[in-house]
Amino acid sequence: MRCSPLAALIAATLAAAPAWRPADPAHRWELPRDHFAHPDHRNEWWYFTGTLAAVDDPARRLGYQLTFFRVGLSPEPPALDSAWAASQAVMGHAAVTDLRSRTHRFSEVLWRASPLLGGFGAPPGPGVAWARAPAGTPGRWTLRLEGGAFHLAMRDDARGIALDLVARPTKPLVLQGPNGYSRKAAQVGYASLYSSYTRLATEGTVTVGSETLRVTGESWMDQEIGSSQLAPSQVGWDWFSLRLADGRDLMLYVLRRADGSVDWRNGTLVARDGAARSLAPQEWSVSALSTWRSPRGVTYPAGWRIDVPGEGLRLVAAPEVASAENRSTLAGGISYWEGPVRLTGADGSAAGEGYVELTGYGEGTRPPL
Amino acid sequence: MRRYLVRAIAKELRASRALFILAVAGVALGVGSVLSIQILNRSALGAFAGSVRALSGEADLSVLGWAGFLDERLLDEVLSVRGVAAAIPLWRAEAAVDGRTDASLELVGADLLQAAVRAPWRLPEGGLGDALTRRGWVAVTPALAAEMGWRVGDRIPVSLGSRRATLVVGALVDLQRIAPLASRRLAVMDIAQAQALLGERGRIHQLDVRAAEGVSLAELRARLEARLGGRARVLTPEQRTAEAEGLLAAFRLNLTALSLVSLLVGGFLVYASVRASLARRREELGVLRAVGATRAQVLRLVLAEAALLGAAGTAAGIPLGWLAARANVAAVSGTIRNLYLLEGIEAVTLGPGLVLLAVATGVAGAVAGALGPAIDASREDPRALLASITLEERVRARSGRTLAAGLAALAAAAAAHVALRGRWAPSAFVLALGVLVAVPLAAPAAIRLLARAGRPHRLGVAYGVRTLGARLGSSAVAAGALAVAVAMLAGVTVMVGSFRGSVERWLDATLRADVYVSTPSWRRARSDATLAPEVIARLRQAPGLVGLDLLRQVQVQAAGRRISLSGLDGALPGGERRVELLAGDPAAAMAALRGGAALVSEPLARKAGLAPGSRLAVRGPGGETALPVAGVYRDYGTEGGAALVDLSTFARLFGPGAPSNAALYLAPGADAEAEVLRLRAALRDHAVQIRSNRTLRGEVLALFEQTFAVTRLLQAMGLVIAAAGVTLSLLVLARERRGELALYRALGATRPQLFAVFLGRGLGIGLVGLALGAAGGAGLARVLVDVVNPAFFGWSIALHPPWGALGGQALAILAAAAAASLYPALTASRTPAAELSRDAL
Repeated sequence: MRCSPLAALIAATLAAAPAWRPADPAHRWELPRDHFAHPDHRNEWWYFTGTLAAVDDPARRLGYQLTFFRVGLSPEPPALDSAWAASQAVMGHAAVTDLRSRTHRFSEVLWRASPLLGGFGAPPGPGVAWARAPAGTPGRWTLRLEGGAFHLAMRDDARGIALDLVARPTKPLVLQGPNGYSRKAAQVGYASLYSSYTRLATEGTVTVGSETLRVTGESWMDQEIGSSQLAPSQVGWDWFSLRLADGRDLMLYVLRRADGSVDWRNGTLVARDGAARSLAPQEWSVSALSTWRSPRGVTYPAGWRIDVPGEGLRLVAAPEVASAENRSTLAGGISYWEGPVRLTGADGSAAGEGYVELTGYGEGTRPPL
Repeated sequence: MRRYLVRAIAKELRASRALFILAVAGVALGVGSVLSIQILNRSALGAFAGSVRALSGEADLSVLGWAGFLDERLLDEVLSVRGVAAAIPLWRAEAAVDGRTDASLELVGADLLQAAVRAPWRLPEGGLGDALTRRGWVAVTPALAAEMGWRVGDRIPVSLGSRRATLVVGALVDLQRIAPLASRRLAVMDIAQAQALLGERGRIHQLDVRAAEGVSLAELRARLEARLGGRARVLTPEQRTAEAEGLLAAFRLNLTALSLVSLLVGGFLVYASVRASLARRREELGVLRAVGATRAQVLRLVLAEAALLGAAGTAAGIPLGWLAARANVAAVSGTIRNLYLLEGIEAVTLGPGLVLLAVATGVAGAVAGALGPAIDASREDPRALLASITLEERVRARSGRTLAAGLAALAAAAAAHVALRGRWAPSAFVLALGVLVAVPLAAPAAIRLLARAGRPHRLGVAYGVRTLGARLGSSAVAAGALAVAVAMLAGVTVMVGSFRGSVERWLDATLRADVYVSTPSWRRARSDATLAPEVIARLRQAPGLVGLDLLRQVQVQAAGRRISLSGLDGALPGGERRVELLAGDPAAAMAALRGGAALVSEPLARKAGLAPGSRLAVRGPGGETALPVAGVYRDYGTEGGAALVDLSTFARLFGPGAPSNAALYLAPGADAEAEVLRLRAALRDHAVQIRSNRTLRGEVLALFEQTFAVTRLLQAMGLVIAAAGVTLSLLVLARERRGELALYRALGATRPQLFAVFLGRGLGIGLVGLALGAAGGAGLARVLVDVVNPAFFGWSIALHPPWGALGGQALAILAAAAAASLYPALTASRTPAAELSRDAL
């Protein structure tokens, strides 16, 4: 499960839209076709997170996030002779976390999908998604699939960040849940089609402030397709994508109710060779160790104990930078925490790295899905 | 003394209610006319500025096309400029509401997805999905919905150009809550729907830019201008409002000048009534002085009375001005909308500033009017005050000097005008003011002249006329006030008549086609209101068609101002007759037009200093083009200036596009009215207005009349004030001369005879006022026709005095003078012989 802090205003209007296609448990996966947009579903996102180090100074480490969201506005394209006629919106979220200066910079765009402002490609590509850069910055944010690698680019001059990366999968695609059908609640119908590349070798450049660094590192990519994911009783989720030092990968998500209790949870463990195994809820546990209060007054958990006893995993995940809160001004004032974490084993040894996403904390921040 | 003052004023009020009421009425009318014009003037831009605020809200800058429209691809370039925090594209046009005469929507197509995040206004909860996907969705203001009887879900048929569309009221959005003066006709829809249903792919009208925090606006503006490289202009909201203000400047100044004349006449009235009151109370003042009151105390007493009178007049004048403004909103608003293409007046507001202005005008005017008589009275020796009527002798002795002063004022005004002409626009009004000052100052001399007429033998009307000079003081003031009002009436009547005459002649000369085709929205939307190709195709099939004239028009920046630029077919056979050149050969001008030259209107030539041989710099979407000027043509339609080019030049400057107007030339003998009916039937499915030459002419003249509606109101107010002045001065006479009247009665004069004498005096004042007014009016007319119009509006008009109307007005003035004398005559005739006193002998 990935975050989608979509504009409350959009989803509120469309919550009852009947004509969207629900996620299909019998979906026939086809690649690279399924890496491109699925416009008959209401929502879709391509989510890249990763940890990078400067080529010239390996001690200089950075975390990054780049996400393209597709938000369906109407299942039928409007029959209007105008470049502005749009049946979907494109939203981009990007963040660069500087592990040295412990700063987190966030940038976003939200446009209607139109030849002027953004859109989604179809096979054979190479364009998968693009969005005009935020006001004050020339150019586009782009996601391209070329030669089996994902090319990511974004830029925001006002916030002083830019990414220009190539991410090549080093492990096969993982379908999360049976046939990639990822349920999100006990009730029927709350689900998405969910696939991941848990490891992508990544290189390129990252700009932070006045510095542009050549970098190399590893990423995680998620793609989710769906029309209704969050059940009415749920307010948000905690989500973990962890690349373990032993070569295994762990994905966990916990959907929470308003009182903080767990409504639904799921997990997948990916072996070194890429073989994925769904983890039953009783096989694992996550508990928060501490909290962090954001400048906006939202209290997030910070630091977790993650146990999968059957797999011999006893981990502690600690945020690299506490203040990795993404505060959106475009999408109805939603904020969420999304940042790199460092993993340590029971003996305190380094056990890997990953990203954690925390949504639905604080007032009015339920992702409108 | 203070206690005495209060009691004296109260007593005065009781003793001469009619006098007091008249004086108050005079102040009230003067204040009312000044205030009404100022209310309209201030409200004139309220809707424009309000709409800017409601729509563009927090926008720091707006990117606008030189010719009113923009290529939407500029959005990407604007967004690329450092320091831009947001750029919202807006599509704007005024669409006509079909089936509702004069109803329209100021449609704004915005990127609602972005606007929902950034605009100052909010869509109702859940509105966005509908707004984007429901065909025709539009949000209107609650005020308009209430006025039109619309409810959410109602369908509104609208048209832009010949194209019809059905909009659906999707939500009520209270834009006036953000800016109270915003137009209630503003309606917001999504930009995709606006372009697709009513507009054109790729075309927008405005990009609102918000600057990032801490960015210097001046620097951002410079960066945007550099990036756009002259393809569009960048203005702050203040600059946009100032630009609109500039467009209306001449119109507003004209109204202000006229309203000040009313105030002048009102001031005369106060002067007259204070004089009357003082004349009646000479003895009282004499006694006061004799028992020890100082001059200063007497002066204060009189001025305090005047201030009270002014306050009372102001109190009545404020609601009067408000009502007068309300009554004229439609006419002024129509002029602003149709001739200046700005938002009309949506609401009139009376702010504290205007109330202050009214109070200052009324009270200061009254005190100023009373100052002269008050100083006179306070200077008098107590004995002189108690004695009798030395004041009158002084006026008589002074009549020559007054006349000289008047002439000097006129000469000074003329000198000032000559010295300032061309450098200071209102100098023309100085000249007009000189005329209006000279006219009343000639009144005493004129009345004395009247007294030299043959000596009548009977006590009757003629006696009354001739003996007017016996009481020169008050009658001269009344005649002077009347003369000013008459001068204004006559001058403006001649000016309007001349204008109308010139326009009619111009229409005769240039309106040559048989059938004219435009659209209900054309007058306001211009280049966005186009005729569909199938409409043009149908027009071409008209039987007996010998020529089809097509016109495109844009509002464009040229020669440093906003002008109306039209493209027409320079090759149309006989097309040279469509324009009337000030000089030169029209056929040669048309040939030059075909060769890429432009013709400029007389106002544009005058304001921008253009002449044949000079160049007209036109800013188009592709930058600036300098067109050679081939001639100057007469135009009374666009004060701001207009120019004509060939359609091919137009397309070169602004790209291809559909025409907004068409004119059909039919074979001789063809029945134009029948063709109009045929075309209307054939084009029923399109929103088109098809008129014969005759109908169009009538409509143009009606529009013209509308622009002078306020002028007429001011004329009427001035005349009412002047008539009140006649009544006032005769009442004064009747009071002052009670003794004389009593003597007449004692000598055997009958009541009807005295009545006739007073009627004669009223008529005498009327005659003098009329004669002086006519002279002044002639001068004023010349100033308005020959100086003010060319200087302010830029067009030259030929003198066409409407003699019939003037004659009718003269009779009406005499009748008003006679009517105004009835009550004083009645009062006078009732004077009992017992009032006979030593003074009268």
